[in-house]
Amino acid sequence: MSVLDRIRRLFGGKKKETVPFKILFAEFKKSLELNNQILDLIADANDKLSGDYIFDEQYIQYICRKLADLVRQLIVTINHLTEQKYAALYISFHKIEEEIEILLRGRVLGQIQDYILPYSMISRTLTDSVGGKNAHIAEIGNLLDQQIPDGFAITTEGFNLFLDENDIRDEILSIRRSWHRSEIPVDEASRRIQRVINEAEVPPKLQMDMLAAAEVLSRRHKDVTPCFAVRSSALGEDEISSFAGQYLSRLNIPLQEIPQAYKEVIASLYSPEAMEYRLMMDFRPHEIMMAVACQLMIPAKVSGVLYTYDPVRPENETMIVNSAWGLGEPIVAGEVPTDHFVLDRRPPHEVREIQIVHKTTTMVQRGCGGTGIDGVQENQRRESSLTTHQLQKLAEIGMRLEKYFKRPQDIEFAIDRQERVIVLQSRQLRLQQKRAPRACDLSDLEEKYPILIRGRGIAAMEGIAIGPAWVFSEGRDLNDFPMGGILVARHATPQLARVINKAAGFITDVGSTTGHLATVAREFRVPALFKTENATEVIADGEEITIDTECLTVYKGIVQELRYYAIQEEPIEEMYEYRLLRRVLKKIEPLNLTDPTAENFTPEGCRTYHDLTRFVHEKAVETIIDLNFYHAHHRDTQAGKLLWDFPLDLILIDVGGGIEGSHSQGVRPEQITSVPMRAILDGMSYPGIWDMAPAGVDFSSFMSSLTRTSSVRSTSPEDVGRNLAVVSAEYTNINFRLGYHFTVIDAFVSDNVLDNHIYFRFSGGVTETIRRSRRTRLLAKILSHYDFLCELYGDIVVARLKRTDRERMMTRLFLLGLLVGFTRQLDVEMVSEETIDIFFNKIRTIMEHEHGK
Amino acid sequence: MENKQTSILILDDEPIVGKRLKPSLEKKGYEVESFTRSKEALERIEERSFDIVVTDLKMEGMDGMQFLTLVKEKYPDTEVIVITGFATMATARESYNKGVFDFLAKPFKLGEIVEVIGRAEAKRKKSREA
Repeated sequence: MSVLDRIRRLFGGKKKETVPFKILFAEFKKSLELNNQILDLIADANDKLSGDYIFDEQYIQYICRKLADLVRQLIVTINHLTEQKYAALYISFHKIEEEIEILLRGRVLGQIQDYILPYSMISRTLTDSVGGKNAHIAEIGNLLDQQIPDGFAITTEGFNLFLDENDIRDEILSIRRSWHRSEIPVDEASRRIQRVINEAEVPPKLQMDMLAAAEVLSRRHKDVTPCFAVRSSALGEDEISSFAGQYLSRLNIPLQEIPQAYKEVIASLYSPEAMEYRLMMDFRPHEIMMAVACQLMIPAKVSGVLYTYDPVRPENETMIVNSAWGLGEPIVAGEVPTDHFVLDRRPPHEVREIQIVHKTTTMVQRGCGGTGIDGVQENQRRESSLTTHQLQKLAEIGMRLEKYFKRPQDIEFAIDRQERVIVLQSRQLRLQQKRAPRACDLSDLEEKYPILIRGRGIAAMEGIAIGPAWVFSEGRDLNDFPMGGILVARHATPQLARVINKAAGFITDVGSTTGHLATVAREFRVPALFKTENATEVIADGEEITIDTECLTVYKGIVQELRYYAIQEEPIEEMYEYRLLRRVLKKIEPLNLTDPTAENFTPEGCRTYHDLTRFVHEKAVETIIDLNFYHAHHRDTQAGKLLWDFPLDLILIDVGGGIEGSHSQGVRPEQITSVPMRAILDGMSYPGIWDMAPAGVDFSSFMSSLTRTSSVRSTSPEDVGRNLAVVSAEYTNINFRLGYHFTVIDAFVSDNVLDNHIYFRFSGGVTETIRRSRRTRLLAKILSHYDFLCELYGDIVVARLKRTDRERMMTRLFLLGLLVGFTRQLDVEMVSEETIDIFFNKIRTIMEHEHGK
Repeated sequence: MENKQTSILILDDEPIVGKRLKPSLEKKGYEVESFTRSKEALERIEERSFDIVVTDLKMEGMDGMQFLTLVKEKYPDTEVIVITGFATMATARESYNKGVFDFLAKPFKLGEIVEVIGRAEAKRKKSREA
């Protein structure tokens, strides 16, 4: 007997007699109540990740157990309503609950048992096993028809096998502990752990799998010499953390050296920089794992990085490309000067700015024996490394990846000998937080303070930094870098990130905004000025300097006038609790079931608590409609479809005195005698409210609309959703799904003031957070103005009104009708803060016109 | 004008609280010491006084209520702010009876605790002027 059968038997029982509608409806309302509680709790938990809150593990456990309890109740309820039709929901639920429990017990979920996975078998759902780099690149190759380097992933299971077979976990832990207790310095701890790893053996099983997978790759690409690149692929949650790019890569090695290279790459997990970084981020031992990428080497003619937004000035709507001849390693490491291009984000992606630098050296492949540095041929030194045509092509690829991943992207690319653009890596790009703009010609600062650098370089992170200069040169130890110093260096190399928690600022002669150090500087909000050409020459070691990266200026001395600006906002700290909450929320919050007509809209398709909740809500509404409208009518109810001019597929169920006359052909609005329902429909049919034409959709809302699976503006009833209103003479309970907005209204209106109530709940709508928040604030403003008691949870608005006389109740219900028609497009239209007042006044004008108040 | 920094002791067995609070309060000009073990916090209290004490109520080993009682006995002027994940009216009332300045339920916003600390600071200033 299957689990499903057992569950059915357990809950099934004998066939029920017709249940009175009253009881069914009570069950239905209970499911709505649970649905609301769950969504509020999820919104609340999500809110905690904003960085403003202090919460501990107890809170995370509380949230998870509370949610599990509510979701379980919800599943019981829908199965009561449907005579155990959806018992399979229990299976999906238990699976999710178990995964969350594993996370709470302090383990990272591994999703597979394989040590090796070829790219053809990888998608983003395997991120926790193969790491972000592998997961993204494989998905780009598999689904987007884009050239990528062919390869395979060595999974975290493989990593665990390596540690376990060699029995070195405890040894590593104890070395790490001595460092935490300050018994040994980080460099020694790093050296000792790396030695332990390097002296261990790659387990025969793992080694065999690696070599076999590499053989397959070689056979598939006979036209090229099979040389390989072995790189780290950081774990899922590090997708936006800047450390991902800092581990070792072994390039251009022959097949038989892959196992050795694997050991070296995983040993780099314990470089001093990585260890310091994890200490700062409060990593627990179970979080320290590495997946590895093994790829066929691309013989790159040109390499570079494309950012689909200018991370420092996203409002410019431009893309940034940095490139140079040869392999990409020295380019992303900021070790060589790069050509710099600024492109328009809008097609045809015109080139707005070009800076061609003098390129003297390039990294090249040496057969299959690693890499070397060669001089660039004389005629290529001052030549642009990319043609306009290639730039355009890159821009198109960038936009395609951004659309697909729904986030600004940081893309590493190569151009091979056949002039093909090959994507090597794509990950989310962190944009600088918007700050208040500041005039550069602040005052007569130039007269008061000597200027060391002016108008040269690029700001990798904007801001002011004041402190003593510490000029990094050959033979100097970064461990001696002083707290609060400004690091001045020739190259913006990733190793400098090691002092990020001490440095007030960075200045380099060479470097680009697309390098790793730039990313780290933005993550930690440390002002950084790169590409100044001669900072190491004009700035003396030890002298106090003030840098203003926004104005590309370095002053000698402490500029008092800028001191105020030097106080940085606090970075959102990456504590263990944040990561744990983010991990469990991945099993809770994402909504995969957006389209009720889609194939995956099944109990088995539910992968998160949100999915389960969404599924149950849809089926609860459907069941009530089916039972009363499509199938054998309940003796105690009447049901009909509303005949209306507006695209609203509404089924009305009358439980007593809500509808008059015959409704076999549907219910005309004038047949509705339910007092609250009439008022709401009056509001909804107010001229112009429903059909309010959406304003021209601008780019960022277009971006967010990509997360939708069907158009909100579609007016065919199937797409608008199934809507239900249960009515009686004095009562109305409405469930609307309009596009992606969910609205619930529950209202009772009689002459007895004490019995009267209105409950209104609004949620959903797919657009960027800022607009959602404007919409939420607008609704709260309007509702509070008309006496509602409002509560906000994330983007959910709940409003209540009680004990109010009949006349006032009616105008409030009319208002809710207006809001339902009107909010459909609101988040797209709320392009600025001013729109809040504009729409607020619009609503007030209508209310005054209609009700004289 | 008195220029002495306001001193704050934080006690919570969940390390994230001290880790998160200490740097932001220090940046705002407070002198902060943070503890995760009540035993160590008690030893420190024996050595010196603090203007403000922020403590969790429910911890392993020692009860926060016991700790704040001891603090109040030794330094009646010290303002105690209680934070806890298990907010019930009973514990809240009990802590108020012990002379607690305010009560904050976890999770709380950084801004909220900074505001409460600011009020506690103002109260101390006022009572000293009076």
